[in-house]
Amino acid sequence: MPSDSSPLAPGQRVRGGEQLVLAVLIGGVGNHIGAWRRPGSRIEEKYSLSLFKDLAGWAEAAKLHAVFLADGLRLDLDTVKGQPFSGLEPVTLLSALSAVTEHIGLIGSISSTFSEPYNVARQLASLDHLSNGRAGWNLVTSAYGEENFGRELPNHDDRYQLAAEFAEAIRALWDTWGTDAIKIDREHGVYADASKVRYADFKSEHFSIRGPLNVARPPQGYPIIAQAGSSDAGQNVAARYADLVFTTGRTSDEDSLAFYRSLKSHVVAAGRPASDVKILPGISPIIGQTETEAKAIERELNGYIDFDASRARLSRQLGGAVLDDLELDEPIPAGRLPAYEAVEGRRSRYGVYLGLIAEGWTLRRLIEWEVSSSGHYVPVGDSEQIADLLLRRFEQGSADGYILLPSFVPEGFQLITDALVPILQERGAFQREYAGTTLRENLGLSNVAA
Amino acid sequence: MSRRDRGLVLALLFGGVARNWRKPWSRSSEVVDLSLYADLARKAEAAKIHTLFLADTVPSDGTPEPSFEPVTLLSALAPLTERIGLIPSISTTFTEPYNLARQVASLDRLSGGRGGWNLVTSAWGGEQFGKELPAHDDRYAIADEFAGVVKALWDTWAPDAIVADPRRNLFVDPAKVRRADWVSEHFSVRGPLNVPPSPQGRPIIAQAGSSEAGKVIGGRHADVIFTTGQTEFEPSRQVYDDIKRHAVAAGRAAGDVKILPGVGPVIGSTDAEARRIWADSHELLNYERARASLATQFAGVDFSGYDLDAPVPAHLLPDETVVQGRRSRYGVVKRLVDSGELRTVRDVILYHASAAGHWFPIGSAEHVADQLQERYEGGAADGFALLPFFLNYPAGLAALTDGLIPELQRRGIFHTDYEHETLRGNLGLAPYVPARPPSTVKEGS
Repeated sequence: MPSDSSPLAPGQRVRGGEQLVLAVLIGGVGNHIGAWRRPGSRIEEKYSLSLFKDLAGWAEAAKLHAVFLADGLRLDLDTVKGQPFSGLEPVTLLSALSAVTEHIGLIGSISSTFSEPYNVARQLASLDHLSNGRAGWNLVTSAYGEENFGRELPNHDDRYQLAAEFAEAIRALWDTWGTDAIKIDREHGVYADASKVRYADFKSEHFSIRGPLNVARPPQGYPIIAQAGSSDAGQNVAARYADLVFTTGRTSDEDSLAFYRSLKSHVVAAGRPASDVKILPGISPIIGQTETEAKAIERELNGYIDFDASRARLSRQLGGAVLDDLELDEPIPAGRLPAYEAVEGRRSRYGVYLGLIAEGWTLRRLIEWEVSSSGHYVPVGDSEQIADLLLRRFEQGSADGYILLPSFVPEGFQLITDALVPILQERGAFQREYAGTTLRENLGLSNVAA
Repeated sequence: MSRRDRGLVLALLFGGVARNWRKPWSRSSEVVDLSLYADLARKAEAAKIHTLFLADTVPSDGTPEPSFEPVTLLSALAPLTERIGLIPSISTTFTEPYNLARQVASLDRLSGGRGGWNLVTSAWGGEQFGKELPAHDDRYAIADEFAGVVKALWDTWAPDAIVADPRRNLFVDPAKVRRADWVSEHFSVRGPLNVPPSPQGRPIIAQAGSSEAGKVIGGRHADVIFTTGQTEFEPSRQVYDDIKRHAVAAGRAAGDVKILPGVGPVIGSTDAEARRIWADSHELLNYERARASLATQFAGVDFSGYDLDAPVPAHLLPDETVVQGRRSRYGVVKRLVDSGELRTVRDVILYHASAAGHWFPIGSAEHVADQLQERYEGGAADGFALLPFFLNYPAGLAALTDGLIPELQRRGIFHTDYEHETLRGNLGLAPYVPARPPSTVKEGS
């Protein structure tokens, strides 16, 4: 455990009885680019509620804390040919899922770069009411999509400045309704106590918003805020506003620990207890019934990769580096790579790749890595091996839990919920029941009162 | 009459508990509880109402009434219903077209082709977005462009673009997706949309402004038009004809646009009982809040300081053409004052708070059905938007679903079951195919 991070209770088991927080990405039929080509992948349901209803139901039966939907504001015509795109919009899909689930958290990405705070605050508050307190917002900045909004993309640091103002504005709007403002006093004709509804009068460099919101105080007070950018600017925003941090799961334990310590120190510097922010690295396991089967599935999935078509996707992760003429089995020459600070989009993810390139990874391996996990850690093994890995990092103090990105669906998803989770439960490291009613309570955080 | 082969369309405005919230039977404590809306939606679906639509409400008597946001609520209702349409109101003044096109397309996919969008222009709210509210005509100019962008984005996909053939590693046929490349005065949107094609070709577009500028937009873009239900038949028929003319002038067939006047029937088992229900609903009205709401909604019309029973101070009512907010609604009230139908301050406030300018026939189911049938068969309506001002839920909704609707079915003018999977099909609209076949785009791989 890092000395400056969350306090340890004395006594039992892993981290003194503290338990993992687990969320799962429900992006579709699997995080690996080849997953849709597997027989039985349910790709036909990729854009239908039926698939997502099943995934959320399985996750809820396993007592996972939350499902999570990523997002982007561009359809990339270069990659759609051989790769399913997200398709359903997070707020609408999570609203639909709120009606068919009861306990699991519903966290969606919404861009702070191309949305209006009032609209976002309203939809999130509404989702929080629909779900009785299970809504979460992954506060993202958009690294692309400006062509769909008729404007220039702000640069990296400006986007994070905007994101911070956006988060402030949204919390100010949620604060315009007192917790118990709705009275429904039939006798005296008092529907809501007007003294508990107020203006926001929020002003910042980019926003001017009077309020009040036209949706009552969310049941959680504030819906959960997650944050996923891991650059220094991203860490500062996370430290101030986030309850959850989704970070790129690193391959090495050391990198993982270094990030965890860095972020928690940002949290403390922002005046918050380190334990108020749960750090969840992304892990995209390829799980099999046995290790041999897992490796066979990995080979199968990698066999579906169109390496030539995937060069463009990797190039985008590498700040537009030209890769077309390189041999697959050679490393990428350093001269092809832009400087870290010059990369305006997804900067921290680029940093992860620079590390792998410095280790001498070949173009082929980098492409395999990118299309299996978008840069997240992809451990391969049976459920015991994956459980060992998750618990090792938890005990080392480099994670408070994980965001699981199933490599393939449905079997890869069900091996997480039906094989991996029970092992974690048997070892006392994961909940067998939801602890409370709201997502905030289930995460061990308090609902925010007005 | 020959036109009327069970083709009448009914939409239900889906709102909160409105002013009857103080009644003991009101479920007002569930105003932000999905279960109330799920009940309403299922009952409306059992009655075969074509579609629900959600206004972005500001309560008419000024009571702070929190409610759900329309897109999220209707998305939540998608898995709880099977056939009924889901149409949220979304502003063209304070939303980005790409975000709106996406959310509506996503709602449409989630519901298996039952999604729509009620195009509204927002008559207030600039202070929530750090901008001035554009003037009435500018808002409609923006709305016109906005609808163009949204339709262009929805047209970026050919219906059969998704191939999903694992053997050929072909997920999307890139020749069947294209950019929108939209550029106009207010918007520049490249596309394509990142939601796959609609199960109904394109989500339904509804529109509700009945001012001249609103009619032009409706005639050009809308599949369904909600008009202010006129108390008298003849003005209602004129509005109907006028909108159909606008549609034809925009190069569309008159039948491509379904015109649904708003109507808030007050139904009792007898005419006398209906009148009692109507009178009873005034009892708990807070006139001072309603007075304030009037001032907010019809900017400049401020009756504060006037006795409720004083004659309407006519000098406070400006000419319709200079009003910037909710112009067509205002026009209805102004004409009723001019004609002497609304005489006192109380009359105007009551009318505004009760029906917000819409038509509210009062009587037995047979009597109300007579009036609806007359308008439908007489060429003044393709159907109606049922407004819940007097939905004494559950009794008030039951009066519609178990009283009025069976009466309309018995007369052979309203359908007895949904005949299609999609909202477009159920509305009796022609199948939609994207306006132009997508051009081939450059393949990047």
